[in-house]
Amino acid sequence: MPELPTPDDDPITSKSYALYYALATAVLTASLFWALWDEAYGQRPWKEYQEVFQQRYSAFLKTARSKSTQSQKEVESSPDYQKMEQQYKQASDQATPQINKLHDSITDLSAQILAVQNVFTDKRAYVSAVTYEIETDTDPSSKRNRQRDLAKWKQQLFTVAFPDGSRKKYNYEQLEAEYNALKDQRTAANSQLGDVLKPITAIKTQMDQYVSDHMATLTPLQVTGLENKVEDISPAIHQIVIPDPRNSGNPIMVDRCESCHLGIREPLKLTAADMAARGQKPDKYARAFVSHPDTELLDIHDPEKFGCTTCHQGNGRATTSMVKAHGTYEHWLWPLFPKENVEAGCQNCHSRDMVLISGNAGQVISEGKFLFEQRGCMGCHKYQGYNSEPEELRGTDQQIKQLEQQKIDNLKMAAEYTHEGDQAPDNTSANLLYTKAETLKVDNSKIDGQIHQLDLETRDLMRDTKKVGPNLKEIRAKLNRNWVPVWLHKPTDFRRTTKMPNFRLNDEQIRSIAAYLWQTALKDPIPHAAPGDAAHGKELFETRGCLACHSIGEGDQRQGGDFAANLTRVGEKANYDYLVRWVHNPRQRIRPYCPYEKKDIGPEDYAKHGLTYAFDLDHTTCPNDGHELQVENMTVMPSLRLSQQDAQDVASYLITLKEKDPSSYPDASYMDDPKLKAEGEKWIRQFGCAGCHEISGFEDDRGIGTELTQEGSKPIERLDFALFTDMAQRGEGEPITDPVDRARLPEGPAKAPWYSLKGFFEHKLAEPNIFDKGMIKSDTDKLRMPNPHLTPEQIRAITTFLMGSEDTSAIPAAFQYAPEDARRDIQEGWWIVRKYNCVGCHQFYPGQQTVLMGMKRYQDPDWKEQLPPKLLTEGARVSPQWLTKFLANPALSTTDTNRNGVRPYLKVHMPTFFFSDHEIRVLVRFFQALSKQPMPYLPEQVPVLTAKETDMARSLFTSQAAPCLKCHATGDPQHDKFATAPNFLLAKDRLKPNWVARWLIDPQAISPGTSMPSGLFRQQSGHWVFAGPTPPSFQGYEQDQNALLMRYIFQLTPEEQHRLSGMMPRNAAPAKKASNSVPAKGKRASGTLRRSPADQAAALGSGSR
Amino acid sequence: MNKKLWIASAGLFILLGLVLLAGCSKKQASNEQEEGAATPKATATIDPSTVGSVQGTIKFEGTAPKPVKIDMSQDPACKGTNTSEDMVVDNGNLANVFVYVKDGLDNYSFEPPKDPVKIDQDGCRYHPHVLGVMAGQTVEVVNSDPTTHNIHPTPKDNREWNESQPPKAAPIDKSFARQEIMLPVKCNQHPWMKMYISVVKTPFFAVTDKDGKFEIKGLPPGTYTVAAVQEKLGEQDQKITIAPKGSQTVDFTFKPGGASAAAMGD
Repeated sequence: MPELPTPDDDPITSKSYALYYALATAVLTASLFWALWDEAYGQRPWKEYQEVFQQRYSAFLKTARSKSTQSQKEVESSPDYQKMEQQYKQASDQATPQINKLHDSITDLSAQILAVQNVFTDKRAYVSAVTYEIETDTDPSSKRNRQRDLAKWKQQLFTVAFPDGSRKKYNYEQLEAEYNALKDQRTAANSQLGDVLKPITAIKTQMDQYVSDHMATLTPLQVTGLENKVEDISPAIHQIVIPDPRNSGNPIMVDRCESCHLGIREPLKLTAADMAARGQKPDKYARAFVSHPDTELLDIHDPEKFGCTTCHQGNGRATTSMVKAHGTYEHWLWPLFPKENVEAGCQNCHSRDMVLISGNAGQVISEGKFLFEQRGCMGCHKYQGYNSEPEELRGTDQQIKQLEQQKIDNLKMAAEYTHEGDQAPDNTSANLLYTKAETLKVDNSKIDGQIHQLDLETRDLMRDTKKVGPNLKEIRAKLNRNWVPVWLHKPTDFRRTTKMPNFRLNDEQIRSIAAYLWQTALKDPIPHAAPGDAAHGKELFETRGCLACHSIGEGDQRQGGDFAANLTRVGEKANYDYLVRWVHNPRQRIRPYCPYEKKDIGPEDYAKHGLTYAFDLDHTTCPNDGHELQVENMTVMPSLRLSQQDAQDVASYLITLKEKDPSSYPDASYMDDPKLKAEGEKWIRQFGCAGCHEISGFEDDRGIGTELTQEGSKPIERLDFALFTDMAQRGEGEPITDPVDRARLPEGPAKAPWYSLKGFFEHKLAEPNIFDKGMIKSDTDKLRMPNPHLTPEQIRAITTFLMGSEDTSAIPAAFQYAPEDARRDIQEGWWIVRKYNCVGCHQFYPGQQTVLMGMKRYQDPDWKEQLPPKLLTEGARVSPQWLTKFLANPALSTTDTNRNGVRPYLKVHMPTFFFSDHEIRVLVRFFQALSKQPMPYLPEQVPVLTAKETDMARSLFTSQAAPCLKCHATGDPQHDKFATAPNFLLAKDRLKPNWVARWLIDPQAISPGTSMPSGLFRQQSGHWVFAGPTPPSFQGYEQDQNALLMRYIFQLTPEEQHRLSGMMPRNAAPAKKASNSVPAKGKRASGTLRRSPADQAAALGSGSR
Repeated sequence: MNKKLWIASAGLFILLGLVLLAGCSKKQASNEQEEGAATPKATATIDPSTVGSVQGTIKFEGTAPKPVKIDMSQDPACKGTNTSEDMVVDNGNLANVFVYVKDGLDNYSFEPPKDPVKIDQDGCRYHPHVLGVMAGQTVEVVNSDPTTHNIHPTPKDNREWNESQPPKAAPIDKSFARQEIMLPVKCNQHPWMKMYISVVKTPFFAVTDKDGKFEIKGLPPGTYTVAAVQEKLGEQDQKITIAPKGSQTVDFTFKPGGASAAAMGD
């Protein structure tokens, strides 16, 4: 074989691949290491967090422990603790000899028992065995023999060697007796020892309790426990798993947040500064390690039950990076709520709550929910739970129709059965058919009852339906015509804080809308009112309580609430006659409206049926067809029960409030031009004016906006950022250029990407037509949402509310806060409380500021006394039956109505809200539930006083040290000039006895700041006794004296009260003539309180004018 | 394929990988060396040998309102005569003005004195009408009248209380934790009974006597704001400088309704 020539360039010999191999090896090795590293750390960033946490937390605990030791020492050095310690020492010293003796005897007895037991158990086993054999023996003679043997054996003597060396002999029965006797002795000794130790251990427990009660932080022992726990931390995922009750394999929620947020549930308060590295500013670790800022919230919402993401959102399962875990990337639909909107999470489970306050939390979301109603968002936007009355009305209507049909069907069937029965072959089957017919007739009677209830419900619903804006059918009577177009142009120009949003209308739209409204408004004349006394009207306006809802003055001068209109310029727009009528009773309509006929019913309709033209809450049926009428203006404004004269005075004052003369408005007579009407109708429909206003021809119109119940779940693609999509995604600048609107943005002009729901809502609320910018659109295509001119805080609140308005189907139904017990009454009550702004006057929970409390006038201590009562424990205070009466008629009288039923001395009057029965029921239940009182309430029996007790109680009642009648009203005008507290005669019906007894002891604890002083009773040997001197008859009286006084008050008769009040020294010496005496404090007439008898007389007189 | 290019690119890739690896594994050791925790405020001490004082007179310019007699007939147990005290002017000198060092003492902290200050209710009237007290100092309330009173402070920043005090009852001891100037106190049963307690963090305050004079002693040298507060006429401030052992005179003049009454809320 010839040898092949070796080529010169044989790659095998001439070329080396070593370099390539080396490189490939390097790449492979590197990627291997990288993979290993990534597996261990890259994909597990939480490991590093856990390491850092371990270091930082142990460092923190070290300082915590020294602080804790220090504070324990301080607590232990307190006199109270020292005293206990001494007691402890004394008691244990005293008991030691006895304890030792008992211990010795127990030891001795135990040894003896052991000795006896050794012998006895053996013998007992033998006896049991033999007995068993006897029992099972079938041969009677052998049975007898064995029995004899056993008896003999039992007589045998056994020796017991006791520990002291002695030996004793016992037969079996003696042995058993000895054994039991010894055991009894030991038990007795043990229990004796327990008795001796009991007081000592009790003191010890007290001492420990004292330490833990008085230490602000954890005890050193607890801190040591934590230190040990921290030492044991080894890298691990910390997760909360919420199992699915129906499918255990697939949990609903797996939250691994605590893998990094390790301090969140630590029992110590950890701030970012606490967890920062020594001497350095808090870094990302420190910020992650803080404990939950609201431990109270966490207590209510146990993370083991609810997880973290239920409230905060984010991607609970993700552990590979912060962005992933927080869900702030585009593929996760539930990103972590930003800090400023964190309360959005509450809405997921608390959509049924109107007020969500827990400590400091819940203010933002509650404000958002309230604004959605109060600012009229719900007029256009449907939202489940809001403005539900119209829909419910349709529902009851439907139901009534169905039931009526059912009745007809039943009658038909009944007739048929009867007929069949008549023809039946035998009596049994005939009777069966007759029974069937009878059943149907009875059913019909039940249906009648049901229909009646639905009728009542309909009436309630009609009454509960309110509109955010005024009834525009009445503008001819109410308004200065020329003012209307000016207002429509830009409401905020006239009234900066109005609820009416700015609609960006052009002149054409303004003219036609104004014309439509003017031409369709009712033309009935309203009664002419005589002029009143504006000065008196001003005083009434400022003190009656109007300012709890309305405000007056602009800027710094502004006083009052923002629930209702600012009346600073009301004189420019309103007609005097209408104002009088409105102030007297705002619910009074010019004509009732029949939703069935869809028309305003007038005198002509009543005349047709020979009826007088009268409609009010007691006359609500349509003369034409008997349907329920809307007889009220749909405003939440109550009646202040002013007399006609007072109403004229207030109106006279209001009409003076103006900046320019009403006649200076440019003429708008075009509003009578019928040609404009059709165009106006079009624009009214376009802008959805009827969402907030009652407008002729639009009574059945529904909101024109998007439903927002689940707006927070909308995928971002479905929100139209229009030409600003790119800008929002990249965060390049701020599209809103108008400086006023720009200033509304809660986070300021955009600096970062804002392509999110939050960004959309905030921009939309700041400038609703921002996404029209740059677009070419016709007038009808433009975005319709008006500018609600909100503050940044308000926008933040509403944004938070909307972000939380999500599709909650992914959250377990059990998480929904939808209680069926008394807590539901609380939920429902808050809606009504906010609807009518009860919080403007009354405090419902400590810390809640009412509008009046914040007013300048009520800073003065004398006026503070004039604030409406706090309702902190109202349900425990008043009987629900009484409250029902009071809410319906706060004057507690049908004739003398221009007064307060309970507190006649207050200038502020509790108005009449004309609540429906439904609302009263809800409110009464609300108050009871809020004070944890059961419903229905069965009045507590107050034991009748004996004659002696009556004398004793009377001496308390009239005591110099507790002069009850000095402040409490009696109904006698002369006496009541100085009254600052309710009449005792109301107590029996109104109050709950137990509450009164507690009130007498410490009123400041029930209603902080009340005029009623504390300290009238003090505790003495387990009883409450009067703090002042008592007559000798009290000697030996063993019962609570506050209860004695309470029982007396509940039995007080008008005669007795009159007699006692007559005996008071003050009334014996008649007050000086009013003109001679001077008020203790020189005040202007309008602000004078009861201090001056002259003014008091005037105030009293005003009621009868 | 160009061999050199291939090698170069492979090398680059590896290098990149290694750099990446190194970059990732590098611990974030760069700790921001910024300012540490705030140092606690040093409490300065007062050298008794250098202290000075401030004194002055408070005048009222214009026609003083005539003191009005109070009708106390609603409680015959209220003996004697009583006149309104909201503006007590004698010869142009304004009494019952509360004067205190409002500003300039932030570096000091003071312990309240152990001795209590007393309020007496006598003739259905408070004595004194204006009282200065240090935060934490005990206020002892005594009832010398044969009738029941209740003592009801209505503070803004302190805790509100309201306690009954029958005739001859034991004194009520209370204290106020926070600074609050002209905190109103009233008796709900005798509506004319009013007084003001001023709770101050420092011991440097005084109330003008019937000649309108006041004196504050023991002030360490320094620059201060001195405030004079009258229940109806509001507050006036003046800046002063006390030299070591210096004595400074500061006079104030109030005009009817002149000063802003914002502080009083009326």
